[in-house]
Amino acid sequence: MRLPFVTLAWTLAALAPTLSATPSIAKDDFVLEDEVALCMSCHGEDGIPIEPEYPVIWGQEYFYIYTQLRDYGAGRRENDTMSAIAAEYDRDQAKLLAEHFAALPWPELPVVYQEGDQQLAEKGITRGQCSACHGKWQGDSRIPRIAGQQPHYLSQTMHDFKNDVRMNAPDLNSTMKQLDDETIAALSRYFTTINVQ
Amino acid sequence: MFNRSATAALCVAATCVSGAANAQEETSASTLYGDLQSVTQNMLSRAAGDGNNFLHTNGNYEQTRYYPASQINTGNVKNLRPAWIFQTEIVDTMETSPIVVNGIMYVTTAFNHVYALDARTGKQIWHHKHAMGPVTTYCCGPNNRGVAVSGDKVFMGTLDAKLVALDAKTGKQLWETQIAEAELGYSETMAPSVVENMVLIGTNGGEYGIRGFVKAFDTETGEEIWTFHTIPEDSVGVWATHDATGRDMLRDIEAEKAALAEMGDPYETLGGGVWQNPAVDLDTRRIYFVVGNPSPDLDGSLRPGDNLYTDSLVAVDLDTGEYVCHFQYIAHDVWDLDAVSPPIITTVADAGGNDVKGVLHAGKTGHVYVHNAEDCSMIRFSEAMVPQENMWVLPTAEGARMLPGANGGVEWSPMAIDPNHRLSYAINLHQPMTYTVKSTPYPEGKLWLGGSFDVIPEEEQWGNVTAVDYDTGDIAWQVRTAEPMIGGILATAGGLVFTGEGNGLFKAFDSSNGAELWRFQAGAGVNAPPSSYTVEGQQYVVVAAGGNAQLNFKRGNNIIAFTLAD
Repeated sequence: MRLPFVTLAWTLAALAPTLSATPSIAKDDFVLEDEVALCMSCHGEDGIPIEPEYPVIWGQEYFYIYTQLRDYGAGRRENDTMSAIAAEYDRDQAKLLAEHFAALPWPELPVVYQEGDQQLAEKGITRGQCSACHGKWQGDSRIPRIAGQQPHYLSQTMHDFKNDVRMNAPDLNSTMKQLDDETIAALSRYFTTINVQ
Repeated sequence: MFNRSATAALCVAATCVSGAANAQEETSASTLYGDLQSVTQNMLSRAAGDGNNFLHTNGNYEQTRYYPASQINTGNVKNLRPAWIFQTEIVDTMETSPIVVNGIMYVTTAFNHVYALDARTGKQIWHHKHAMGPVTTYCCGPNNRGVAVSGDKVFMGTLDAKLVALDAKTGKQLWETQIAEAELGYSETMAPSVVENMVLIGTNGGEYGIRGFVKAFDTETGEEIWTFHTIPEDSVGVWATHDATGRDMLRDIEAEKAALAEMGDPYETLGGGVWQNPAVDLDTRRIYFVVGNPSPDLDGSLRPGDNLYTDSLVAVDLDTGEYVCHFQYIAHDVWDLDAVSPPIITTVADAGGNDVKGVLHAGKTGHVYVHNAEDCSMIRFSEAMVPQENMWVLPTAEGARMLPGANGGVEWSPMAIDPNHRLSYAINLHQPMTYTVKSTPYPEGKLWLGGSFDVIPEEEQWGNVTAVDYDTGDIAWQVRTAEPMIGGILATAGGLVFTGEGNGLFKAFDSSNGAELWRFQAGAGVNAPPSSYTVEGQQYVVVAAGGNAQLNFKRGNNIIAFTLAD
């Protein structure tokens, strides 16, 4: 969909703080608003994804989003939907999208919690030395925010690493193999209880 | 020992007034103490005898962390009380060594905030927040270990791989230099060192496939003066089969030679970060530093050879950065049991019992290594300070258990020495782990461990404080702690050593026998090196309590200064 010129101009003005450059044309007919709309059709108009296995990308780290788009595009990370979409973007286009979504506020998702999650999660965190990279779970640059992330997505991601399905952060393949399914489930719920800062 | 108290007192009445007038709006004249005066090279060179200031990350150029004042001593340390607590804006991992210049303290936090404080009261003078770039790549936590001071400038390395110079009076940035590309895994957590017109700094990135270095930059302009690559273009070495202690490392030399013929020298992505300050010998114009692990940490198949100069003590020429000598502790390391704790220059006994200039280093292996400073050769190594089991079993796809775990032994935590007792003081971890290997290609700046080291949750973890007689290698005393130890230690002429624990306890021990004489509960992990200073005749001990990301100790944001109760 191509927005009428007046609408596009208004939208660009409204989003001025997050749009820092004119889109390049590596993807034919690349219009940032169209691509943003495409992203939001799955990742949510209000930042809450339409399916539990889709990740929150509003407020996610800029460099992490950019890196994942590049990895999808280059085949280093695979997903039926994302691989095809990201393959069309060049670096500048991927950066524009990453800038856009990184500047949006992280949405509030419901806390999912079961008795005993914290103890099991902390044991897993100690075993995997997770905080050495993930710190206080808020994300920083190439490290994604996982506090307040969709629990189904987190669980799926950890299992994908464990089962060598996701390969673009290879050290997590080894780390996740140390964790049993019960611990992964507890971790994915536990991170919904961490306040987003 | 210099006495700068008189000078400082005079400046309160005179010089400080103009200092306040020139300062930014953050600076309140009523809070100013000291003259915020220039730090001269003479002050930096003679810091080991300076009982008022704390001018270097590790106390002095020799890095002894031995503070020469004795007002706080074994007889009265029981009366030590908090003088003030300063809370920073950032509640996160803290590894800063407070630097004190004539009553002004400089501390840093995670994510590169710098504070100047009145060292008597803890009142803030200025606060500088680094304008962090969008790309940072770092292991292990958003740490910073402090600043260097020289002239009227304060220097700091940043997570986005920059070196910045700040105005010591205002905190305003004077210049910044991009040291290396953050996107490729370079970052800065170490404190810089300053010698004359040079700022010396290494780099993180051994977990990301960087090519490590130590660089010298001009203090006035930030322009690069020299670079020493910690990974030479010929990194193969001598195909060493045994470690520094004589144990077989189970290398398959033939397989490595075949890999070398096929893939060539891996020097461009071989790691070799430098995590801590160099020791500086102004007499010989040399610096001594230790080089960290090869990349990828656990997968040796992609990096045939000894992987020079990883896991080594290295000396280079202070003025040119040219290689002088090295000693490699572990060739072709596949356990990340590397060299990170900063070396110390002091007089040691050689094999014949004669005093020679020596260099000490505490390894993740749990040994204190004693070297001859002349040629870097090893004179002796100490008894193991932590349990060692199954060394050197090779990492496997399923995970092989070996002790020490990959954090040590002695992590980046600096040692201290008492040259009168001829003892070194180290803090240690005991963290049983399994070592797993999984070969993956260079990931262009992403974490590249080549497997994982995983804590065995069923096994007990603990730490210890260990004193080693560096003339014999014998353990003189050892005190076990409830938590694995990471942060650092300080010795003083008062016969004390101070160190903190992840459970929030900050303790003083008798440096001659390890008797615990005092403790304080800080409320968050005390995982930073303590400093000491004296203002208006009153000695203080100061430490950061901010916890630790690497070991997930409780985070906090406190700088706590202690002094004797009236």
